[in-house]
Amino acid sequence: MTERRRLLALLPAAAFVVAVAIGPAAILLGRGIADGGGIAGLATLLGDPLNRTAVANSLLQGALSAAGAVVLGYPVGLYLGRYAGPRGGVLRAVLLVPFLLPSVVMAFAIEGLFGPGGTVGAVVPAVRALGSGLGGIVAANVIFNLPLVALLTAVGVESASVELEDAASALGAPPSRVYRDVWAAPSLLGAAAGALVTFLLSALAFAAPLLLCGARCYTIEARVWSLDTVLLEPNAASALAAVSVAFLAVPTALYLVLSHRLRVGRSGRPRPPRPIRGAGPCGIVAVTVGVVGVVVLVLGSVLYRSLAGGGSGSGAAAAGWLALGSPRIAAATGVSVAGAVANTVGFAVAGALVALLLGIVSGFALKRAPGAARGLPGLLFAPLLISPIVLSLALATVWGPVVAGPGSWGLVVAAQATLALPFALESLWVALRSRPAGPREAAEILGARPFVAYLDTDVAGSAGALRTAVLFAFALCLGEFTATYFLTSFATPGFATLPVVLYDLQGPGVRLFAAADAVAGLLVLVSLAVLAAVALGGRRVEL
Amino acid sequence: MSSSELLRVDGLCVDWDGRPVLRSVGLRVGANELVVLLGPNGSGKTTLLRTIVGLERPSSGRVWFDGQELRDRPTHRRGIGLLAQEPALFPRRSVAANVAYGLEVGRRPPAEVRDRVREMLALVGLAGFDDRPPTALSGGERQRVALARTLAPRPRLVLLDEPFAAIDVERRAELLGDFRRALRATGTAAVHVTHDREEGFLLADRVLLLWEGALVQSGPPEAVLRRPVTPAVARFLGYNVLPGADGPVAVEPHAVRLGPPGTGAVDAEVLADGPTGSERRTYLLAGDGRRIEARRPAAAPSLSPGTIVGVTWTETVPIGAAVGAPV
Repeated sequence: MTERRRLLALLPAAAFVVAVAIGPAAILLGRGIADGGGIAGLATLLGDPLNRTAVANSLLQGALSAAGAVVLGYPVGLYLGRYAGPRGGVLRAVLLVPFLLPSVVMAFAIEGLFGPGGTVGAVVPAVRALGSGLGGIVAANVIFNLPLVALLTAVGVESASVELEDAASALGAPPSRVYRDVWAAPSLLGAAAGALVTFLLSALAFAAPLLLCGARCYTIEARVWSLDTVLLEPNAASALAAVSVAFLAVPTALYLVLSHRLRVGRSGRPRPPRPIRGAGPCGIVAVTVGVVGVVVLVLGSVLYRSLAGGGSGSGAAAAGWLALGSPRIAAATGVSVAGAVANTVGFAVAGALVALLLGIVSGFALKRAPGAARGLPGLLFAPLLISPIVLSLALATVWGPVVAGPGSWGLVVAAQATLALPFALESLWVALRSRPAGPREAAEILGARPFVAYLDTDVAGSAGALRTAVLFAFALCLGEFTATYFLTSFATPGFATLPVVLYDLQGPGVRLFAAADAVAGLLVLVSLAVLAAVALGGRRVEL
Repeated sequence: MSSSELLRVDGLCVDWDGRPVLRSVGLRVGANELVVLLGPNGSGKTTLLRTIVGLERPSSGRVWFDGQELRDRPTHRRGIGLLAQEPALFPRRSVAANVAYGLEVGRRPPAEVRDRVREMLALVGLAGFDDRPPTALSGGERQRVALARTLAPRPRLVLLDEPFAAIDVERRAELLGDFRRALRATGTAAVHVTHDREEGFLLADRVLLLWEGALVQSGPPEAVLRRPVTPAVARFLGYNVLPGADGPVAVEPHAVRLGPPGTGAVDAEVLADGPTGSERRTYLLAGDGRRIEARRPAAAPSLSPGTIVGVTWTETVPIGAAVGAPV
């Protein structure tokens, strides 16, 4: 089989991303610019003070969130990569729960924890600034994205040469000098990649500004949504979406460069387990314990409120869970809780299957034609640049008329899978890259076709990583809110998922807070169950 | 600790998850001595070196260096050099900057650093390589840079962990000679770890034999070769282990004679036979399942696989520690 034919294995993943994300987004943005009066129209658009405020908010919220996530996530990443040892798997799983939670649950949890009536805010008035407004948005973004910074920092630490570190120590370099000369650069590379992705996800945050602050804190993402669905100005929305793509192009490109360098650092031959360097400096351990404590507090608070009925005002224990069967929910949100669960699980299973199939097929190209497949991760990370609102707007505009009617559920699956794909596949690719070529070559010499040999050796040997990738994709799809909310509200009514129901239950005119508490608790439990399955399987999620 | 002892290890034990890796190892290394630590893969050689230099923590036992107990002293304050199989050069530092590293962290004056780097590079045959990046060097050259870097801060003892394992066979002999010369020239004592017995016996002032985590034999190369302590050690040292009047004896392959079937002490089937340079090597399988190696003159007749021959031997070496012999 020639290298060119092996590269055909890249086609499904590339075609999927181009058809679902890049193509529709390009059409949408092109139309938006053309219909909005070209470059002059863009200038007029940016002259609008609300749009300018949205741009400024995106910059401010992105920068503050990235800084906060690095300050807290970098020490945690050092602990994970260097000192955690066998404890690392469980710790990674706990830290990842917030990232897998729907952003709407995170906003909900922050308000319930630090807000004036919140679990902590009611007792400690000083923390109320973190319960709403800019402080609340940044707090939600930091807790949501901190696992990315920590795990990418840990990847950097693990890519540093143990042999070089030993040599430097034996030559008389004290620990601070060994840090400076051997593992500061790769760990900071990981932290910088984490900071950039935090900036991107925070500058494009949707649920947190919407729920914790309102219009004065809207990011570009929220403003695009507002222009399209509230103010009914689709051309202005498309034009502003084009501005957001330009705005995010540099950080996205930088992130791709840094993550590529991180991947290169860990793609070599399999290494023995990294030795654990003691228990870790007190400062690093203290920050790690503090961060884990906050994560546990956030999750515990959501679960507590779901059981205690704290948000309902009634105070009746488990009132929310009992209210989940109420017909009022279906009347208010357009779907029963059972229906929302079925939608959520159905979409997540479909999204995970898409990720599984594309991961296995593209992994073949990655393994057999690694040079040519170098651009693949970049291609799959393109949706970061497009953002969930722009993606769903593009899908609804370009594909909506084609798949109108019952088939439109496919748009939700496509959007969820596109957004989950790059994060989910990294776990699989790291495992595939480290598989030795020997068994696959032996299978081919014994007569197996190249793809069969790949399945029988590389894929079969990466079964644990495959399961992790599928579970991670499942959890990411399960927690996706922004694109799902947009699509289920307009293009595909009747397909609302649990995060969408949770948002609607708190909306004006509905205000079923006890049921909302229970739905949030349910989502936390599902995320915990998925990550427990990953941790108990002895695997770890890679980023 | 006597004044001539540079390193002393007593009762050193290392456990990994409850599995003993080193079992009460004790050894002494004198100033300027080159000790070779010999043992099969997995016998604990690397772990012993890493424990001495402070990269592994022992579960019990003590290490003294230059009269000082090292228990609570971190690696960077031990002053013991370590050269591993992997040269582990700083990729973004030039050859000269790599060699200067240990001097820089020791805050030596720049002029001294410059002179010492030049001296070390000349010693390892790399004069003029100062500004080259490590990526422009061959495997052997990188290992020479690593040796120069290890010796530059003037450690009184260096630990060499199979530094030639990844080097081509033809380059290895050259490097062995250069390493030995460099160590002698700088008056540095060394513990050299290898599983290659020929390399070990070629270099050593004294050989230590590590077997399943325990030190089983110690002495000058000739003494160790003259009296392997167990049949397994004898086989590791290259002997055939054959039946003797008072139990198994070690027989050197050159002492094995082949004749017609029924004329020797045992009959054996030829498995393989072929010339290897100046001699002919023959592998045989005796009726009791014992494997025997014979080395015969190059002019000896070839034997087809499957041929049955009679095997005798002319000289034997006793197996088992001599009474009162120190380990």
